[in-house]
Parts: sequence; C-alpha cells; structure tokens
Amino acid sequence: MANILIVEDEYTINELVKRNLQLVGHKCCCVFDGKTALEEMQKDGYDLVILDVMLPVLDGFSLLKQASHTPTIFLTAKDSLTDRIKGFSLGADDYIVKPFEMLELTARVEAVLRRTQKDTKVFELANVRVEFDSHLTYLNGQIVDLTPKEYELLEVLITNRNIALSRDKLLELVWEYDFEGDSRTVDVHIQKLRKKLGWENHIKTVYKLGYRLEVRE
Amino acid sequence: MKRRTFLTTLLLFLLTINLGIMLITIYTYRDTMGQAKERSAAEHYFIASGLLKDITALDNRGADYKQDIAGLAQPYGYLAGNQNAGIALYEADHPVYSNIRGEIMSDFPTPPQNGDRLITLKEQNGNAAVFVTGRLPEPYNDYALLYRSDVSNTLHGWQRMKNTMFTIGLILSGTLAICLLLLLGRLFQPLTDISKTSRRIAEGEYATRLTIKGKDELAEMAGSFNHMADEIERQMEELITTAENKQLFIDNFAHELKTPLTAIYGYAEYLQKASVPEDDRHFALECILSESSRIQTMAYQMMELANLRDDQIQMEPLPVSELFQKVKRAMTPKALEKNIDLLCYCELTKLYGDANLLESLLINLVDNAIKASNEGGPILIKALMDGAVPVVTVEDYGKGIPEEALSMVTQPYYRVEKHRHRRDGGAGLGLAICEQIAARHKAKLSFISSPGNGTTAKITFTTP
Repeated sequence: MANILIVEDEYTINELVKRNLQLVGHKCCCVFDGKTALEEMQKDGYDLVILDVMLPVLDGFSLLKQASHTPTIFLTAKDSLTDRIKGFSLGADDYIVKPFEMLELTARVEAVLRRTQKDTKVFELANVRVEFDSHLTYLNGQIVDLTPKEYELLEVLITNRNIALSRDKLLELVWEYDFEGDSRTVDVHIQKLRKKLGWENHIKTVYKLGYRLEVRE
Repeated sequence: MKRRTFLTTLLLFLLTINLGIMLITIYTYRDTMGQAKERSAAEHYFIASGLLKDITALDNRGADYKQDIAGLAQPYGYLAGNQNAGIALYEADHPVYSNIRGEIMSDFPTPPQNGDRLITLKEQNGNAAVFVTGRLPEPYNDYALLYRSDVSNTLHGWQRMKNTMFTIGLILSGTLAICLLLLLGRLFQPLTDISKTSRRIAEGEYATRLTIKGKDELAEMAGSFNHMADEIERQMEELITTAENKQLFIDNFAHELKTPLTAIYGYAEYLQKASVPEDDRHFALECILSESSRIQTMAYQMMELANLRDDQIQMEPLPVSELFQKVKRAMTPKALEKNIDLLCYCELTKLYGDANLLESLLINLVDNAIKASNEGGPILIKALMDGAVPVVTVEDYGKGIPEEALSMVTQPYYRVEKHRHRRDGGAGLGLAICEQIAARHKAKLSFISSPGNGTTAKITFTTP
C-alpha cells in the first residue's frame, strides 16, 4: 500500500484515477492545480505522484523541475514523442497517455513502486501470506506448494485485486502473448489456487467476464 | 574568382615586365657590341694605314721591308696593347708578328681579297673579343692584319646590368603580388562577407546581417541582401508562430477530446471490472453521461464552426432593440443566478446582418461576461456609432483577461484558465465561433481588458 498524490485538473479523471488506485489498495490524495500540487510535493509524504501536464497555474513539466525527488508518472493527453522524451528527461519514471486502461495504470504504478522499493513486499489475506521477494506462499504458517504458473497467476490477481480480469487478459499476463492454450487452462489454475489457499470466497467468478480477487480493506 | 583574378593579373604582369627587360637587354647588348665593333674597326683601319705608310716608305727607299716587317708592326702592337687589345700580322696566311697573348690565331678567318674587312665577335668562357681582319691594300695585299679587342669588360658590364634588371623585376613582381593580394582581399571582402553571412543564415541564424559601408554598388548589394535576410527572418518567424499555434491547437484539441473519452472509457471499465456499491455506481454513470454530452456539444460546435466557414449568410436590416430584447430574454435566467443586471443601451436603430448569427454571437459574449463577472456585477450591452461605423460592445466588470492571453482567446480550444471554463461547461470553441460570425459580417471582434477591472468585447462593423 502506497501513498499516492494525484495531480489532475479534471475532476472526473482525478476521481477515476483515485478510485482505480484505491481498488488495488493504495491511499490517494487529490489536487487540482499546479500550485497546490507543488506545496503537496514539497511535503515529502508521498511514494508516488501521478501528474498531468496541462494544469492550471503551473504545468506538469515545470512542476517536476521544481520538485523531482518523488517518483513520478505522467498521465497526459500529450502523446507526441517530444513530450514523452521531455517527460522522461525531466526524470519521470513512466509516461501514460490518455485514454488509458485501468490495468495499464495499475500495472505501471505497481512497476514504478516495485522499482523504487516503496511497495509492500508481503501480502496477507485470510490466513494466507505471500512474500513477493522470495516467491513463497504460506497458509497458516505452512509453505504452500505452488507451481511457477500458479504463483504468477496469484501475483497478478493480488496486484490487480478488486479488478475483474478476463480469461484472455490472464492468459496474456501470466502465460505469454503467443500462448495457444484455451481459456480452460485459466479455469483449471484458478480452481487449484482456490483449493490450495482456501480462497473459494475470495476469488470470485465474474459473470461473462472472468475472475476477481476481492479484498475489503 | 579571387584566385583566378590574382593569378591572371600576376601572370600578365610577369610576362610584360620580363618581356620588357628582355627586349631592353637585347637592345643594349646589340648597341654595346656594335659600338665595340665600330671602335675596333676604326683601330684596325688606323693601324693598317700606319703600317701601310711605313711599308710604303721603306719600299720607296728600296729597303727590304719584308725582312723587318715584324719590327714595323711592333710599335703598333704596343699601342694596341695599351688599349687591352692585340694585333697579329700574317704574310700569306703565316703569322709574322703577334702580340695577342696566349694564342696564335691559326684559325683566324681569311679576309676576302677585295679589301673588305671581316668583323667577328667571339665569346668563350665568359670572355668576349672582337676580331677585325683585313688585308693591306695592293701591292701589299699578301699581308693581312688581325686586330683583336678584348670586350670582356663590356660584356660583364652588360651582364651585370641584365642581372640587376632581372633582380629588380623579381622584387617588383614580389611587391606587386603582395599588393595585388591585399588589394584583391579588400575588393573581395564584401563578397566573402556575403557568402559567410548567407551560410550563417542558411544554418539558421536568421538575425545575421551585413554591415553596410560607403555608397557604392557593393553597399547597394549589401542593402538588398539585408532586405532579403529581413524578409526571410520575418517569414521564418511567421512560419514558426503558425506552427506553434497549430501545435497548440492540436494539443488543446487532443486534450479536449481525450479528457471526456478517458473519463467515459475509464468509468465504463470501472463499472465492468470492479464490484462497487450503488452510490459509486451512480456516480460513475453520471460521469459517463455528462462527459458524453460534452463530446456532443463539442461536435455540435465544431459543425457550427465548419458551417460558418462555408455557408452563405443572409444579410438583412435588423432592428437593434429587438435583437437586444431577444438576447436579454435568453440570458436573464443565467444572469439572475449570479444577481447580475443586464443593461442595454441602444443608439442605433438598424444593423445589417443575419438575425440568428448575431443573436448567437451576442449570447456567447454575454455568456462569457456572466462567467467572468462577480456576484452582482452589472453587464452593459451597447450599440452606438463609433465615427462612421456601427459598434456593438459587451462590457463586464469581472476578473478580466491577462494581457498575454488577449490575442489568443479566439483560438479554438484556448482557455485562459482551463479549470474555471471547463467547470462552466464550455467546449472551448465559443469565441472561435464568435470571431467567425463577426468575420462573416465583415466585422472585427476585439477585446479590451485589464485584469481585475473587467473586459469589453467590441464588434466593429465595417458596413453602415
């Protein structure tokens, strides 16, 4: 769980980003203009900043120039190469172009947090404890024997908790893009995970879509 | 060019000066040697006549002059020796007397029998001598006299002169080459400058200019060159500004379009993938609906803008007071929300234009004025004559527009303060449409504003 500052002048987008990040367990603070954002960023209490470029009072690029110690992901409609390069050269950790997909946002946020060592290395839910560094999973203190694919599937579910993932998406994320298996492979692995971890009530089947790991925080 | 001019001039000069020196030396050589020959011929004649007199005298006395011929010649030999010359006397081609040092002239040229003399010049090992041979007159024509005059000194003198002249020629050539180089450098300096400057301009330093000196043709050329550079700089600036505006438009447009799209897509995905309580569900649906209507407004306004550019408009006389009444009626509810008074002042009776378009133009301007106004601030709508042309103004006493933004406000999607406008629900095309409407009426839309004191939007018609 990380403390994330969202700087975006559009109320609806700001709210959307906040809701998405809250789903996967982050704590969010929303600001709507460059000046307030600068004040917040200088407070130093954030693990990550999601920053728009076109902002009232002070634009995102200038903002990053003045306060660049916090890991930053640009989230903007400006998709030209020059802007991306500018963003990265100012020290941004990632650059997401609008419109974005929910999973893209959470995945990139997760990646940056992991890189900057601010992410939790342990996840706990209903007697299950997952350690990301060692790839070990415990149930009631006992190591659970998971195959590599099962572990990867578990990690994807945890990273995108509270978000429904389609079978195709899971195939793409866990198995490779070119995997020719059918979606029943996913079903079989989900069944095994539910059984091994005792998560029958936590990994929900979403009608006509796929699966979702539900965590109420 | 400079190199070629330099080489050609130098070559011509070298050719002329050396040819001149050559001609002069040849002429002096001939002259000097001719004099030496004449002198030798005179000496020869003098000695020959002397010798003839002596021989004749001896012969008349009946003495055997043949025995004593060497003795007779000797004084003349001394005489000649004094003048750095020598004589030799031959009898039937055998030498009988000679005081020519070193050599006995065995191969001396046989003089002709008719009494003419042979004058030859011989040069050997840097020495030169004039030989004159001639027979004595009859009956002593068995005897031939050779006179040899050493002209080495004269030759050396001539050679020295020749060398001096060539040296001077060389020095002159060198001096000329240097002067020529400096002169050409000076003459070609403007050309070098021009090529240097144009190269810098080509490399993108559009502000580079030539310095103009004097009033000659070159200065004139530099003047036109600078004019050209001015034009290039101006056009480049125009191009850059146009490109920047275009980029700004694209950025703004992308932003305007992508923001609602992102929201719609994002909330739909949120609804699809997350299990959310009823409240959140409702909120997400609200967002999707409002953002969709925003895109709709935008599409509608873009259509309007496009139509305005193409469609022919209906110009007809409109009663101004009626127009104002319509605008007032349309905007009063919105004005009341902020406690704003809409005040009309009408000096004009009629305006020529399209009723719907002018109404929409005024409504747009009044709408903007309401957004900018503070609670309770009045808005003035005036129609009056400004000189010979009718003018309609909309005045508010709100927050005003910053000076740097004044020229940009009619750009599509430009927002002075993005946040405020978007909350007010505009699509960023209002003033762009206003400007188009004004343009279709051959009128000009301008803004006078000072931040904090309010804004005046002014439509200046060009037709009465």
